[in-house]
Amino acid sequence: MTEIREGRLVVVTGASRGLGLAMASTLAAEGFRVVALARRPSEALEAACEVAPFGAIRFMAADLGEIDALQGLVQRIKAEHGPVYGLVNNAAIGTPGLLTTMPAKKISELVHLNTVAPMVLTKYLARSMMTAGAGRIVNVSSIIAFTGYNALSVYAATKASMIGFTKSLAREVGRLGVTVNAVAPGFIETALTEGMDEAERSRVANRSALKRLAEPQDVADAVAYLMSEKARNITGTVLTIDAGSTA
Amino acid sequence: MSLRSTVHAEIAAVAAEQEKRMPPITDDLVMLETEFDSLCFALLVARMEDLTGADPFSEMEADDLPVTVGDLVALYDRAAARKAA
Repeated sequence: MTEIREGRLVVVTGASRGLGLAMASTLAAEGFRVVALARRPSEALEAACEVAPFGAIRFMAADLGEIDALQGLVQRIKAEHGPVYGLVNNAAIGTPGLLTTMPAKKISELVHLNTVAPMVLTKYLARSMMTAGAGRIVNVSSIIAFTGYNALSVYAATKASMIGFTKSLAREVGRLGVTVNAVAPGFIETALTEGMDEAERSRVANRSALKRLAEPQDVADAVAYLMSEKARNITGTVLTIDAGSTA
Repeated sequence: MSLRSTVHAEIAAVAAEQEKRMPPITDDLVMLETEFDSLCFALLVARMEDLTGADPFSEMEADDLPVTVGDLVALYDRAAARKAA
């Protein structure tokens, strides 16, 4: 496909599957150009790239755990695609485990990928937004950040870190026209929740106000809203998408 | 434009955009004694990276932090030399 769209550029991390893939497709449908970052492409992402209007989704391979390579990655994105308007920090791992038996290496890995990597990536990508005097950052947190769930304490801590990061960064860059918000999805049918059995899923669904689980598209729509002009006066906030399970 | 004049010009441009009053920009101007705050500084670093491709602040230790405009110019000089090497 040779035709290239002229829309604003948004970088979505962890875009090869689940929530990230839904976000990339939705943002493309809403008129943005999307750089989809993931370690490797998936069949689903390749299919999304194919059907995206005007080649609006471009895959770029990146291992976000390689912190020292992130500045170079951002320079490559800017060189190949132009200035970046938005960033969705979605990539994360959801390793479960009781804290007392979780290897220290796994704890470090979770914090490294879920907290340090998005912070450093944001550091470099926010510069592009600051010089343009406009931009959007959306961090993907989780309801686990404020409700608690057995065997997810480290994951919960990393997701809570995204909320603190969101609120303070919103104060830092607001003067330059950049908004920073978080979305907090509840349990949603993705690869990250594959570990739950049917009974557990039903229990979570029954506990929610709407008696169902939210879907990836609900989260993608929330991200697209926060990325849009309609959300220009919203910053430093957390939008919960959980079908009312924390209501 | 030399690196020194680029740094001076960008400081002036950022200060003007952010509505900060600045004394004449010279090498011995102590930046902390001006209205050029941390956000202005972050914006300056972002613009200099766009203009020169260099970001000396990603590699340096905390005690290298520039005090004067001249220190800042020297930092970018060193970063440019490293890049060229």
